[in-house]
Amino acid sequence: MENLGYLFAGYAVVWLLLFGYMFSIAKRQKQLEKEIELLKDLKSEN
Amino acid sequence: MERWTKWLGLLLLVGMILNLYFIFIYAPIEKTMGIVQKIFYFHVPSAFAAFLAFFVVALFSVAFLMKRNYFYDRISYASAEIGVMFTTIVLVTGPIWAKPAWNTWWSWDPRLTTTLILWFIYIGYLVLRDFTGEDERGARFAAVFAIVGFVDVPIVYFSIRWWRTIHPQPVLMGGEGSGLAPKMLFALMFSLAVFLILYFYLLLTRLRLEKARMDVNEMKKAIALQEQ
Repeated sequence: MENLGYLFAGYAVVWLLLFGYMFSIAKRQKQLEKEIELLKDLKSEN
Repeated sequence: MERWTKWLGLLLLVGMILNLYFIFIYAPIEKTMGIVQKIFYFHVPSAFAAFLAFFVVALFSVAFLMKRNYFYDRISYASAEIGVMFTTIVLVTGPIWAKPAWNTWWSWDPRLTTTLILWFIYIGYLVLRDFTGEDERGARFAAVFAIVGFVDVPIVYFSIRWWRTIHPQPVLMGGEGSGLAPKMLFALMFSLAVFLILYFYLLLTRLRLEKARMDVNEMKKAIALQEQ
């Protein structure tokens, strides 16, 4: 089981990148949904 | 679109669990490189997913130039972002695999260098697209840039056949003496299928974001018109 550390590092990086990217999409989606709600309020006020 | 995303997400979850089983339990340990070779089952599919993502970028860039439909431009932008993420995986897992196999993290080898260039090309595309915003000329320029940039994809793919390289030779459709043990080949093909699902799942999720962004822009325009 030589080089197990490299294998672990390789897979850890992949999961970090994948989940980091998915988290960034979810965060941007939430921000836009908030903005849509604000704009809806503004539109109904006008 | 949301129903599709949910079903694809479920399929992805089951597929990924099975994928890990095939990689770590089903596929045998490679004799020369040992356990570290198992990085290959995520490294190669990531490269293929990146190629597919950049193909979609080029395809929808052509469609945008022909039809001037902004949704095509948004598909290109979303796919480029996903392609850059997959190329990042390739560029990070490669050196982690290379260190124990070649005793060096990096070599200015044709395959590695052309992949790095590919990464820079599409980072450039994303920066350009961010910078030009909704400007039509900017969108057209970015589309042309993406189509020209796609030329690097076949260069990356064929680099190990065209030039002398220390990168392993192709295991699929390679020359004499290339290929994989049946169990390894099955694990690789399964992983390729799972990464294909992952790409489409990310694309649908990312397109939902683009749809929301387009809605925000439309609403802003409508409010501005109301106020005039």
